[in-house]
Amino acid sequence: MSKKTMTLNLTEGEMAVLEELCDKKDLSKTVLLRQALRLYQRVEERLERGDKLFFEDEASKEKAEIMML
Amino acid sequence: MIATTPYAVTPVWLTNRSTKETVDAELWHSIVDKNLADWEAEWIPDLQRRLKLLNQQKVERRFWPQSRHWDWRDKLREIERRLANLSFAIVAEDMTQAMMTIDLTKRARMPGHEGQHLVYIDFLEAAPWNRNDVAEEPARFGGCGSILINAAIQQSTQEGFKGRIGLHSLPQANSFYANACGMTDLGQDATYENLRYFELDPDSARSFIEKGKGE
Repeated sequence: MSKKTMTLNLTEGEMAVLEELCDKKDLSKTVLLRQALRLYQRVEERLERGDKLFFEDEASKEKAEIMML
Repeated sequence: MIATTPYAVTPVWLTNRSTKETVDAELWHSIVDKNLADWEAEWIPDLQRRLKLLNQQKVERRFWPQSRHWDWRDKLREIERRLANLSFAIVAEDMTQAMMTIDLTKRARMPGHEGQHLVYIDFLEAAPWNRNDVAEEPARFGGCGSILINAAIQQSTQEGFKGRIGLHSLPQANSFYANACGMTDLGQDATYENLRYFELDPDSARSFIEKGKGE
């Protein structure tokens, strides 16, 4: 599959978070951002269907809805 | 709109189970319209014929192939535009021999790897004539499962996931994933129809590739 290159401008804070996540997940910046885009698309698709996004506490089963803009 | 040509094609080899000869085949990187046409026109009638035989032989339904309800057209329609999903097909003798879809957004559960990304195999199915569990004559081509597992490992490596893969196995395939692929059985998953969940860690993935399985 052919690929296209883009330049991404991030603040220092954003870059720090990106690097921290890359370290934690042992992924390159490109791979991590690609994952983020895949997830964003998936979440958007579900929200458009009328679904809601929750995080559930495994122990208490308590659910917290994520507000999506 | 399902594509008509795959993104890429890789040469692979199947084994003719009766002659033991190697058969040239292709791994298509994406399921395309031809594969769905083969599924509809060839897989379904062949599967129905075999189910009829199983029924005539009074084989209990719980021993029938558990993937018999899978609708590949629906599955492809669902993931068509999703960046997180990829699909593969094996074609030999101008016929689709097996298909697989994968998800790139799932995380590992194996102790020591929890939370790391992996390639999750959503669906993997060989054509009815390539299976040993669907009555009648023995499987025609061998190697479909290994080629697709190999493709999932390669994709995982390419994505930066170190070869990690995971899947929920239908009971009839448990032994293939555990023994032939060297995947770790993490037990029944109550959140997924009580199917057993298997994972392959980076070392086992390397070992699978080094043994030349699925090439």
